[in-house]
Amino acid sequence: MGRLTRFLSALLPALSLTAAAQDVTFVASVSKNPVGMGEQFTLSFVLTNAGMAGGKNLQLPDLTRFHIMAGPNTSTSMQIINGAVLSSVTSAYVLQPKETGKFTIGPASIEAGGVAYRSQPLTLEVVRGQAAPPKSAAPPEDLAGQIGDNLFLKAIVDRTRVLQGEQVNVTFKVYTRINVLNIALDKNPTMVGFWSEDLDSPADEGLGTEMVNGKQYRVRVVKRMALFPTQAGTLEVSPMVLETAIQVRPQRSSDPFESFFRDPFGRTVNYTIQSAPVRITVEPLPGGAPDDFRGAVGQFAMSTTLDRRSTRANEPVTLKVTVSGTGNIKLLEAPAVEFPPDFEQYAPKITEVVNRSQGRITGNKTFEYLVIPRYPGMKAIKPVTYSFFDPVRREYQRLRSPRQEIHVEPGVQGVGAGIVGAAREDVRMLSQDIRFIKISTPSFSERDSPLHARAAFIVLALLPLAGVATAFVYARRRTAELQDEAGARTRRAIRVARSGLRQAEYLLREKSGSRGEPSSLQRLRFYAEVAGALWKYLGDKLTIAPSALSVEAAMVTLKTRGVDHGLIHALKLVLESCDMARFAPTSLELTAMQKTFDETRRIIIELERTLK
Amino acid sequence: MTRRALTLALFWCLTASGIAQTAEQLFRDGNMLYQQGKLSEARERYEQILALGKVSGELYYNLGNVHYRAGDVARAILFYERALRLMPQDEDLRNNLQIAHLALADRIEPIPRLFLWEWWDEVKGMMSLRNATWLVFVVFTLLCGVTSYFFLARSYRKRRSAMFAGGGLTLLFLLTLTLFFAKRADTTRTDEAILMAPVVTVKNSPDSSSSDAFVLHSGVKVQITDTVGPWVKILLSDGKVGWVERTGLAVI
Repeated sequence: MGRLTRFLSALLPALSLTAAAQDVTFVASVSKNPVGMGEQFTLSFVLTNAGMAGGKNLQLPDLTRFHIMAGPNTSTSMQIINGAVLSSVTSAYVLQPKETGKFTIGPASIEAGGVAYRSQPLTLEVVRGQAAPPKSAAPPEDLAGQIGDNLFLKAIVDRTRVLQGEQVNVTFKVYTRINVLNIALDKNPTMVGFWSEDLDSPADEGLGTEMVNGKQYRVRVVKRMALFPTQAGTLEVSPMVLETAIQVRPQRSSDPFESFFRDPFGRTVNYTIQSAPVRITVEPLPGGAPDDFRGAVGQFAMSTTLDRRSTRANEPVTLKVTVSGTGNIKLLEAPAVEFPPDFEQYAPKITEVVNRSQGRITGNKTFEYLVIPRYPGMKAIKPVTYSFFDPVRREYQRLRSPRQEIHVEPGVQGVGAGIVGAAREDVRMLSQDIRFIKISTPSFSERDSPLHARAAFIVLALLPLAGVATAFVYARRRTAELQDEAGARTRRAIRVARSGLRQAEYLLREKSGSRGEPSSLQRLRFYAEVAGALWKYLGDKLTIAPSALSVEAAMVTLKTRGVDHGLIHALKLVLESCDMARFAPTSLELTAMQKTFDETRRIIIELERTLK
Repeated sequence: MTRRALTLALFWCLTASGIAQTAEQLFRDGNMLYQQGKLSEARERYEQILALGKVSGELYYNLGNVHYRAGDVARAILFYERALRLMPQDEDLRNNLQIAHLALADRIEPIPRLFLWEWWDEVKGMMSLRNATWLVFVVFTLLCGVTSYFFLARSYRKRRSAMFAGGGLTLLFLLTLTLFFAKRADTTRTDEAILMAPVVTVKNSPDSSSSDAFVLHSGVKVQITDTVGPWVKILLSDGKVGWVERTGLAVI
């Protein structure tokens, strides 16, 4: 049944094309039937003779039992045969079955020229496992047995345990005891986890003979490769597949006719040979790698050259670092070169030369660093270091170039770009890091008793307050003392007044006694003494400074201190008469002087009594 | 009585200087070990000083450096913040704190505040509590001196100028006293903390089954605004609020 459907589906498009040249057909087909689980197949819908417009509104049947892996892939073809145009539009879907069993793919529909067309339903069988391979003109069943170990391909590695980055050589050899007409490469081995490089085969190694299990084989080297593992672990070199054409000798047969028609030299058949996969254990590199190690494994040497030792500012200089030797040349990384910070630096230009002869990968890698010094001076490039792992000595090695110096002369335009304002730069921070610790021993403080809570400090803080208190007390006492002084002056007043009056009385008595009438000078002195005594008495008694003392001030003060009005008036009269006598001298009689004296005495006594 | 007090004072001075000697010795040892690259030994020495009850901004600064070198940025920030309280004007410290902040996973933009508060913070940042204490003391002493002069002056003019000076000094005294109290509050506050746990999921409420608010990484400075059992409410400088368990925080 399945085979019939397949046959029909393969035939139908062809039939439709030839039989009904101008009829529009819409046909569904599958690429294989039966299909194995997990196998992909193509479901195609072919619309024929729908014209240039083609179909539209393609309605797919229910495909839920399949995974749609790809599609629709649309292709158009057009043919003109005997003036009739044959066109076909194919929509193809790549499907994968989800389960086994027999399925019917329902009809699909499409519109072309206003008419709807439906494709025929298909029955598809999905079988367990890979579907049986299509029978073809395959060699007889017994070919493999016949050839047996007379022809095989072998992958030979020179070692199976290597370090990461160490070279392993793989040789693919064909061993044969039969006549091989032709060998063609079908599938190159894939190398996952390796960097692989084809090696040049020496001419004499191409062919030879070898004994395997007591049989002699002709051997031919097909391919030699150098592998450099780029990761640790167990890596696999996948098989290499070769397509060979071999001549099979005719089998002896009992049928004479059959043997007659046979080619006496045997017939030629295609035979596929493949190598067995090879496992290689890759060990990681030992620890303790230098800082600048970047995976170089092998034996290397380094040379550094500067294209010139002296240059001008803004003119480029090239530093060439060449690493040469044996090992994974292609995996070498550029060394980090520390140029002076004011050099403008560009990414290095890398060139490599790989030599594949002698079974070893050798060569060199050149890193060209183009730098432009921007400022004049004697500049030094720090030594370039390059580390690699030497698998022979099994240790890390570090190459170190000598220190290079460049003398940079001032550039053509301007001595230093720093003078030109526009070219000035900010000070660049070369690295940002925390600052150094504090070295000078600090004064530690108690965590739990800060300064302000310490008794000693509080006492200290109270000292100024004590000073204020002292000053206050001192000021009070001084005021009191000043008041005491006033009291003393008051007490002293009468004594002073008395001595002044005594002087006046003396003048009055003595002068009048000698000539009967006092002279004008005597009179003046008498009144001055009286006035002076009175004023002094008033000043002391009322604690008025001599400068502030006046008749009015004295009168006011006396009044406030409750002195009798008559007495004040009398005092005023005496003072006025004194002034009169002193400044407008008149011929006053002795009796008048006597009267003034008596009056003055009375006033002082009265005041003394009142102002107790 | 006086003799006994004197003896006591002398004894106190001696013991105090004895401890200081040891602390200084430890500090020098720690510095030497740091320079030799022996970070953990250096840290031990510094921590012994702390165990003696002695603190200084320089000590916290060096401890911060030790932790930074050892790769513990969060702890480095904690100690730098502690140092900042004791020597807020130190330029090296500000630089290192800034660099330590660069290593943090979270970038938090503080909300801009009223310029007056910024000024006030600047003023507060100009001195340590210790210096503020001394400033108050000096202004107070000057004020007392002027007051004494006022009492003692005889002439009216002298008294008048003393009164003006006294008025100005009283204002200054009140200002410095305010500064002192603000500094004291800042220095002794225990509501600022640094997140120590590597990653913390901040919750919306104090409950482990609560919804997640946001995720924080170590080294972030937070303000603790509330406490419920083992949970604390935190406020970030950008205004975000959430709840975390107290164990992941270290108070500055």
